[in-house]
Amino acid sequence: MEELIQILEGCCPDVDFEKETALIDDGILTSLDVVMIVGELNEAYDIAITVDALEPENFNSAEAIYALVERLRCE
Amino acid sequence: MSLSSTAFLIFLAGALLVYYLTPLRFRWIVLLLVSGVFYLSYSPVAAVYLCGTIAMTYGAARWLEALHRKEKARLAGVERGERPAVKKESMKQRRRVLAAALCLNFLTLAVFKYLDWLLSGVNSLIALTASGFSFRPLDLLLPLGLSFYIFQTSGYLIDVYRGKVEAEHNIFRYALFAAYFPQMIQGPIHRYQELQPRLFAEHPFRAENLRDGIELMLWGMLKKVLIADTLAAGVAELYGNYAAYNGIVVFFGAALYCLQLYCDFSGGIDIVRGVSTMFGIELGINFRRPYFATSVDDFWRRWHISLGEWMKDYVFYPLALSRWLPRFCKHFRKRLGQRVGKLLVPCISTVVVFLLVGIWQGPGLQNIAYGLWNGLLMSGAMLCAPLFEKWKHNGRLMHIFRILRTCFLVTIGRFFSRADSLANAWGMLRHSFTHCLWNLSPGAFLSFGLDLRGYLTVFLAGLVLFYVSCRQEKGVHIRQSLAQKKPSVQFIVLLAAVLILMATVYLNGDYTAIAYVYESV
Repeated sequence: MEELIQILEGCCPDVDFEKETALIDDGILTSLDVVMIVGELNEAYDIAITVDALEPENFNSAEAIYALVERLRCE
Repeated sequence: MSLSSTAFLIFLAGALLVYYLTPLRFRWIVLLLVSGVFYLSYSPVAAVYLCGTIAMTYGAARWLEALHRKEKARLAGVERGERPAVKKESMKQRRRVLAAALCLNFLTLAVFKYLDWLLSGVNSLIALTASGFSFRPLDLLLPLGLSFYIFQTSGYLIDVYRGKVEAEHNIFRYALFAAYFPQMIQGPIHRYQELQPRLFAEHPFRAENLRDGIELMLWGMLKKVLIADTLAAGVAELYGNYAAYNGIVVFFGAALYCLQLYCDFSGGIDIVRGVSTMFGIELGINFRRPYFATSVDDFWRRWHISLGEWMKDYVFYPLALSRWLPRFCKHFRKRLGQRVGKLLVPCISTVVVFLLVGIWQGPGLQNIAYGLWNGLLMSGAMLCAPLFEKWKHNGRLMHIFRILRTCFLVTIGRFFSRADSLANAWGMLRHSFTHCLWNLSPGAFLSFGLDLRGYLTVFLAGLVLFYVSCRQEKGVHIRQSLAQKKPSVQFIVLLAAVLILMATVYLNGDYTAIAYVYESV
């Protein structure tokens, strides 16, 4: 989780990923942020987050992103 | 039957009466019939195209759903190791069906919007050979709302393909989603999962829906009639005959066009939303005070929001998260550095999105230039972000400076989106900056068809619009706060709006209702 937070903060230094729970719903992450985060996660964990996974519930919090990454790593 | 015509108001009153006299669970059928009558009143031929699109996309969605079901059944009967192959095969089949349906859908749009332009290009090439042959233009009449229902039905197909929504089984219910009459003229474009529950929920009569709808319609009509229509003739003169005017006046004309377009489009959307609210169905907002944006990126998140969302979901993300684009951009990282290399993916995707937005505006290289201008501005801003770090002051003056800078950049883009050719757009832009020191007198601003009465009308209506926008920027919900006032105050405000509209339309002998700019898109 710590590593993930570091990656996320590297993409969006102004966002408090440990507290925010509505990153998409509240418009905290823009489409550019999402694309940058997905690019970093794909590279760091050797996964392929596709457009089908771009649901708010998968990106609203660091926990949700972590769960998505874990799910894709297990597949 | 224009949205602000008397015929439409009578039609609307009749539709509302029948709608609320019908039992709750059959009301959606009334909406479907009303939508059919509304569309037929425009053009029976266009209704045939609409029905064709509905039938084709309905069938394709059912086919996609059947393929999904087949995949699930096959997955249940195979070993875990064989599942990826089954999934891959099913995905291939679904992709083919989706691609064919989308091609058919967008081909219809392309034929109506771009075929004549392409033919004239081919004719110019043939003329070089002096063979004497040329294609005759087809002069096809663009069916009402074609872009909007093509985009909406295409989004639905993609969502069914992705498995995000289930295909609608009842073709009449689907037809209402595709052809719901208030949004046929200029959107907003809705996703199926947003609009479907609203269309088919039971909507009992509520007086506040009627009141809210009337207020929204009046607000939209005031913007359209008092500002957009007052400016239309002067703007058309400046764009059509720019060489005869001082450069500053021409630039002023482009800025007026920004205001005209905003009031025309957002006014139309307000009317559309007002009409829908009267039936108890809330439509999404399409504008969030775009001229208060502090960057071009911010502007596009406030302007034509439903098209922006559509482009984001169905073009930007699929492109940026595809396998090939990030792989292609990776090659440039060594040369351009990690940061720029990584930003190439969203930058290229943004330029592609805005190229498509430009092409959507209509045929002609000027529209492609318009798309490129916006796409390159936004990509440039992403790439140069570290350079602007030093300027990250958040004072009020800086905020105003950012708004003015955005307005300036947007106005430059409007030289291209309104001009009838790239040469004219470029000529007009150059003229604005090179012919601004001669022949400038206060009278020059009255010389292009906008008289003192026009200026005064736009100024006063613009002041009200500015005041309301400022309040909304501060989070005030105008209609809610009006609803909390005494009934007498509410009545006076509504009466004043109606009287101003009637005075403008009926007492002004020169007034002619002008078609909505995006009615022909």
